[in-house]
Amino acid sequence: PPPRPSSCGTLQRLKVKQQWAQAFGQGTSRETFGTALWRNLFNRAPDARDLFKNVDGDNVFSNKFQAHIQRVLGGLDMSISLLDDEGTLNAELAHLRMQHAERGIADENWEVFKDALLDVVPDELGSCFDYDAWNCCFTVIAVGIRGR
Amino acid sequence: KMMLALFVVLALTGSSFAQTCCSVEDSNEVHRMWSGVWSAEFTGRRIKVAQSIFIDLFGSHPDAVALFSRVKGDNVDSPEFRAHCVRVVNGLDTCINLLTDPATLNQHLSHLSGQHAKRDGVRAAHFDAIATSFKNVMPQISNCFNPDAWGHCFGRIADAISSGLP
Repeated sequence: PPPRPSSCGTLQRLKVKQQWAQAFGQGTSRETFGTALWRNLFNRAPDARDLFKNVDGDNVFSNKFQAHIQRVLGGLDMSISLLDDEGTLNAELAHLRMQHAERGIADENWEVFKDALLDVVPDELGSCFDYDAWNCCFTVIAVGIRGR
Repeated sequence: KMMLALFVVLALTGSSFAQTCCSVEDSNEVHRMWSGVWSAEFTGRRIKVAQSIFIDLFGSHPDAVALFSRVKGDNVDSPEFRAHCVRVVNGLDTCINLLTDPATLNQHLSHLSGQHAKRDGVRAAHFDAIATSFKNVMPQISNCFNPDAWGHCFGRIADAISSGLP
C-alpha cells in the first residue's frame, strides 16, 4: 500500500486542492454540500448552534444561515486554494484569526468542524477521498486560524 | 384611458428591466465564464486575476490606493495585498454561485453592504470603477467573454452592495 502521509507536504496540498475543487463544486451543489456539512456539525455538537444566533443558527435552511454557510465555505475555499502559496496563505490565515478571535470558539469545536468536514467531503469523492492528507492539511489551516 | 397609460408605463419599465436584469440565461453565461477562471485548483491563476483587477483599478484611479492602506495597497505583491485581492474576488465568486438562489444571495449582499459601509471613504462610484476594471480584465482571461451577460449580473451584485454608500 502507498505510504500514509503524516504531514501536509507539497503533494498532499496539491491533492487536497484538487479534491476540494471537486467536492465544493459550483452553484446550487455548494448549498447542498454546505447544508450537509452544517447539519453534520450540529448533530455532533448541538450546543454549537448558540454561537450562530445572529445568523439564524437554529434553522440551517433559513436564507440568513445559508448565506453564512457560503461565507464560511468561501473562507475555507480561499485557505485551501492558497495551500501551495505559503506567504499569501499565512496572510489570509492571520486575517481569519482576527475575525474569529473574539468569538470564543472552544478547542473541541474546531475538532468537531474537522470531523464534520472529513465526514461530508467523501460523499462527493467516494473512496478516492484521501483522509490522511485532509486530516493533516485541515489541521494546518485550523491551527493558523486559532493561532495555537 | 388611465388604465391604458398605466399599461404603457408598465410595458416600458418591463422592457427596460429586461435589458439590464441578470436573467437566468445571463447567470448561466456568467457561471460558464467564471468557472473557467476561478477554480480552487489553480492558485496562481486566482492571484494573478485578482491582482490584475486591482492593478487596473489603481492605474485609472490612483486615489483609490489609499483606501487599501490597511492591507498594503501600495505594494501589490505583498502577501497582505495578495490575500486581500483573493478575498475580494472570492467574495464575488460566492455571489456568482448564489445567483441561482436569490433569497440567500440577498442576505449575503446585505452582509457585504454592511461590511463596506463601515469602511471610511468607500463610495458607490468606486464600484463603477471596479466594474470597469473587471470589464477590462475578464475578456483577457475568459474564454469567449460575453460582456452583456457579465455586465447585467455584475451590476445586480455591485448595485446591492453599494446601495447604502455615499
